[in-house]
Amino acid sequence: MPFGKFVSLMIPWTILLLIGMYAIFLCLTKGLNQTNMDNRFAFGVWIFLDLSVIALGAGAFFTGFLVYIMKRDELRAVINSAVVLGFICYSGAILILMVDVGQPLRAWFTFWHPNIHSMLTEVTFCITCYLAVLSVEYAPLVLKNKKLKEIPAFLAMEYELHRIMPVLAGVGTFLSFFHQGSLGGLFGVLQAHPFAFREGLAIWPTTFFLFIISAAAAGPSFILLTTWIVSRISRKRLVSESVYTLLARISGSIPLVYVLLKSIDTFTWLNRTVPQMGLSGMSFFLWAPFNIWILFVEIIVFGLIPSLLLIFGGGRLRAGWLVASAALVCCGILLNRFVMTIQTLSLPTMAFDRFMLYTPSWQEISAFLFVVAYGVIIYSLSFRYLRLFPQETELDRN
Amino acid sequence: MLPWIYGFTWQTGNVIFLSIFYCVVAVIFGSFGIAVIRAYRDLTSGRLNEIRWHVDFDDLPEFAKTCRHVFSGEIEYQVCRNGFDCRSCKTHSGIIGVHMGANASYTGNESPSGLTIQSDCMYHRGHTWVHRESDRTLTIGLDPLAERLLWSRGKAELPEVGSRLHVNGAGWYFRNGGSRVRVLSPVDGEVVAVGGRDEGFYLKVNPGDDSDLRHLLKGTEVYPWMTREIERLEILLGADGDGINLADGGVLLDDVAASYPELNWENILAQMLLES
Repeated sequence: MPFGKFVSLMIPWTILLLIGMYAIFLCLTKGLNQTNMDNRFAFGVWIFLDLSVIALGAGAFFTGFLVYIMKRDELRAVINSAVVLGFICYSGAILILMVDVGQPLRAWFTFWHPNIHSMLTEVTFCITCYLAVLSVEYAPLVLKNKKLKEIPAFLAMEYELHRIMPVLAGVGTFLSFFHQGSLGGLFGVLQAHPFAFREGLAIWPTTFFLFIISAAAAGPSFILLTTWIVSRISRKRLVSESVYTLLARISGSIPLVYVLLKSIDTFTWLNRTVPQMGLSGMSFFLWAPFNIWILFVEIIVFGLIPSLLLIFGGGRLRAGWLVASAALVCCGILLNRFVMTIQTLSLPTMAFDRFMLYTPSWQEISAFLFVVAYGVIIYSLSFRYLRLFPQETELDRN
Repeated sequence: MLPWIYGFTWQTGNVIFLSIFYCVVAVIFGSFGIAVIRAYRDLTSGRLNEIRWHVDFDDLPEFAKTCRHVFSGEIEYQVCRNGFDCRSCKTHSGIIGVHMGANASYTGNESPSGLTIQSDCMYHRGHTWVHRESDRTLTIGLDPLAERLLWSRGKAELPEVGSRLHVNGAGWYFRNGGSRVRVLSPVDGEVVAVGGRDEGFYLKVNPGDDSDLRHLLKGTEVYPWMTREIERLEILLGADGDGINLADGGVLLDDVAASYPELNWENILAQMLLES
């Protein structure tokens, strides 16, 4: 793609980035009164974004695990792209968390004076460490740039960083496993919100495990989806059909397990957890617009149907169907995170509470879009100047 | 965070959690530190040539890494995992043991696309030829495909007489303005003379005791390899431009680059000369 055209494509995203930077500046300097969050809606669109991008970014750890630990060499075709996506997702999430928490000058308190009773402390520690891992994994991609490789120190560093990748992949898997779980573990202590509260094993509620599995399900789907989108935009074949098929199988089988476990969890919650609290589970689905349809869409439309399409259609269906199915799986994860945050807080919990709808302020939306624009720009630059898809050159011969 | 910091408590969960956290941090930064130390050692111990080739080879597309025994039909499909160094390759030793005479009967000179292959020369995958002279020195030149690609690529920067070359390390360079093209050395040894295009060779090398040339292509392997390399060039020309095709059965132009000045020749040459 000519440089001029590339720049022109980046201009709208840069404008979005600048607006987002201004909104973030306002939030950090004037405080959280710039948002529409309050004591009732302490979790807003930012937390939804955090949970979502961390789930979508799980492709980095899961692909790294499959390539370096399980030795699935076919996935080397997408590992670089997965690392960049992971880096974007986690750095974006940490940035928004800093804005959400406010008091940026005291951000280090969370490490120096950690609240050891909070699962979110573990989340903070894990995602910070994992961002460090992703940065080290991203570095060799940058150092592999032809011009940079001419510098001997960079060449040697790139080579040596590549040698420690299996260790980093192992650490990344360990960290991701725990922080994805701990994000779900939060709902084990939300007894004041029966809609989200879950029981489980010891300190780990069922959502601890469901969040891990759903993230592992969303990651490969997101990689499949982004690879296809980039391939269409660049008009290049980036990975072979067999890689798409493998990603489709992985993207299909894990969501199927998730759908099964999620169904059991929902059934248990409806028939055991909520009745024990003296409530009726179905009463939570009486509030429009969040009626029972949302549960049906999450489990059937965004879960079961795309899973079956991906598993059984992996080698037969046209790419469009696979990509649409992967997109549905990603939508399912987004919907799940939306339900667990926004819908949970919308529902009344006290006798005097009312059902509330939350509308984010323009500053919140701009900060949200900042992360999207940041992701698009970083990925586009990486795709243009780095070697994200090693099979690209070879596939051009066909 | 630490025992003397406000908020720290000596609870089992706290100690376990923080211990695991410190271990993880230690592994991340320890691994990074080890990488930095190793990189420093690489820089000071002169392993850069070896590393550069390792990195370049790793980045080559699989099509460019086809095993030499596929060319001769001894294997249906195999990708080289050994950096084209057949001297330490078990597959190569095994096949040579069985098909020892496969190349011995070859005597003809063939010309794929008008590129003359000399039967008394051995060829390196980086597009150089090697001829063993009667005084045991090795004469090195560019093969006819590389000659046509590098025809107008500026001046050759040859190593000084007395310098040492290593297989798959940098042999010499062609510099054209700001861009530089590297030619891989096909052999180990000490440079005893330098030439140029007009002299018909670029280097003469004394291999000393290290004259193992098993990694070089010879005999019946060369023609199919060269044919495939021409196909690879065609792909690169097509990928970089608007689908340029070299005519089947035609003769390659003396100066290919001059015929397609709009293409990114820096990239094409890097790919053809195995510099990813």
